[in-house]
Amino acid sequence: MKKTALFLGVSVIVAGCASVATGPQAIDWNKIPATKVALFYPGQSSYQWLRSEAHAGAAKETARGDSCTSCHDDPKEEQRQGAKILRGNHPLEPHAAALKGKNGHIDMTVQAAYDDKNAYLRFQYKTHNPNHPGNDYPGYRFDGKEWKAYGGMRLNKNVLAGKTGIVYENRLNIMLDDGKVPGFAQQGCWLTCHDGERDMQKEASKAEVEANALLKAIKKSDVRKYIPASRSDPMDWKTGKPLDEIAKLKASGQFLELMQWRAHRSDKVGGADDGYVLEYRNFDKGSNHFASNMDGKTKQPKFMFDPAKFGAKAFAASDYGGKKELILVKGVNAVPFDPNAGWKEGDILPQYVLSAADAKGSAADNKAVSSWKDGVQTVVFIRPLGLANDDDKALKPGGVYNVGFAIHDDNMTGRGHHVSYTKTLGIGAKADITAVKLN
Amino acid sequence: MNIRTLIVSAAIGGLCLSAPAFAQVDAEEIFKENDCHKCHHPTKAKKGPSLAKIAAKYKEKKLDEKEAIKHMTAGKKVELDDGTKEDHKIIDTKDVAVQTAVAKWMLNR
Repeated sequence: MKKTALFLGVSVIVAGCASVATGPQAIDWNKIPATKVALFYPGQSSYQWLRSEAHAGAAKETARGDSCTSCHDDPKEEQRQGAKILRGNHPLEPHAAALKGKNGHIDMTVQAAYDDKNAYLRFQYKTHNPNHPGNDYPGYRFDGKEWKAYGGMRLNKNVLAGKTGIVYENRLNIMLDDGKVPGFAQQGCWLTCHDGERDMQKEASKAEVEANALLKAIKKSDVRKYIPASRSDPMDWKTGKPLDEIAKLKASGQFLELMQWRAHRSDKVGGADDGYVLEYRNFDKGSNHFASNMDGKTKQPKFMFDPAKFGAKAFAASDYGGKKELILVKGVNAVPFDPNAGWKEGDILPQYVLSAADAKGSAADNKAVSSWKDGVQTVVFIRPLGLANDDDKALKPGGVYNVGFAIHDDNMTGRGHHVSYTKTLGIGAKADITAVKLN
Repeated sequence: MNIRTLIVSAAIGGLCLSAPAFAQVDAEEIFKENDCHKCHHPTKAKKGPSLAKIAAKYKEKKLDEKEAIKHMTAGKKVELDDGTKEDHKIIDTKDVAVQTAVAKWMLNR
């Protein structure tokens, strides 16, 4: 390992430890019960598809609100469904050929504990690539004149067309409901996955998005996860309710908590996203652990690598997938961008710059620590108990919550993830996953 | 080797090739690959009757796997508990040996 990488690793670990105090490192996880959860590749199985005749024999039952597991109850269900969808002739995956060799399911273990301040949720699973932690992310590449986006996930249109490289970070997501979102206990994450969203069937066109009143009002340029109650017709993303009605839903607790650990954009600063799903996949108020590295006015990056720390001011596409961590962190290896630094065609800088210090407000509630060793990813989320922000679900001792998990693995984002059926999480209460009180 | 020995050897060879192919039919896996288990649980009533109930009914009516194969290949309307009717799913194989293995497995629950 080069000195620069070692420096970055050590610095970040120290920063991470400082931010999480003595939390998860002090827990003897060998004493905490482990629950096995299987996740599978769902393809384009949207809310709408599940209520269509294509969901053979189950459209009526799904629309009625039956749980997924009332039918999908075999011990190998996730293994079987994931393999079928990726097999090559399944209508839920039109790009199966491009995903040849992809694993249909992932076996994960979940452990949970809590003390007076926090809940600690620990996850372990094997990454599909045993040789890389999946912490690369698309960058901005200098083409000799301009800095343009480079890289994308496996299902990205430019990737499929061979116009750019396959690059995306791994992620681990938790979606959580406190019982206030009707149907989540039964159908989990599938309540939020709809036709019209990115890479889904009937993906919304730019013109359709621009013409939509709700998306215009919330200043969004695409369709992302939403809960059914945010639409007057949940089968149609275009029927968004007025903002005052959305606000009432939020005030009544009709939204889903969404926590995301990101291998590139949050891991090195000990963070995890804090967001929620209501009319869109939103971030909580405040600032995230990561921010755009593109200056909208100058159309140039804001930061570049400090050559003294990183070994160079930028990297090349051939560095992706290697041993060097291509992560830009303020106060560690980032310096302000110098437009006169002698940039050459092919130079790449990260699309995001990270900072633990810049993360603020409700968006900065969650912390995380992780490790990746011998192809096994371990992530511990640290979630403060009793959060009172209006965009948070408060975890409380004795509470039982409905949870769904997702893993974005092997250069995937959007729908290209593995997902679980709904489980329950109890904070000191009996559930599928019971958090143990720490002494 | 005379011609008779050759014929017998060929026949045995043929058996050896076909017998394992039949023996390798994992009826339960095919049943689940076809999503039959989503409606038919071994013991519980789901959308369709349990396998135990189906087996008992066939036994009572002295029906065998041929009737079960008809049921899984004809796509006829079936009446559900709520009184509605829908087309029964058709098994995704035309191989009679495989259909027979699945039918026998179901009726032996």
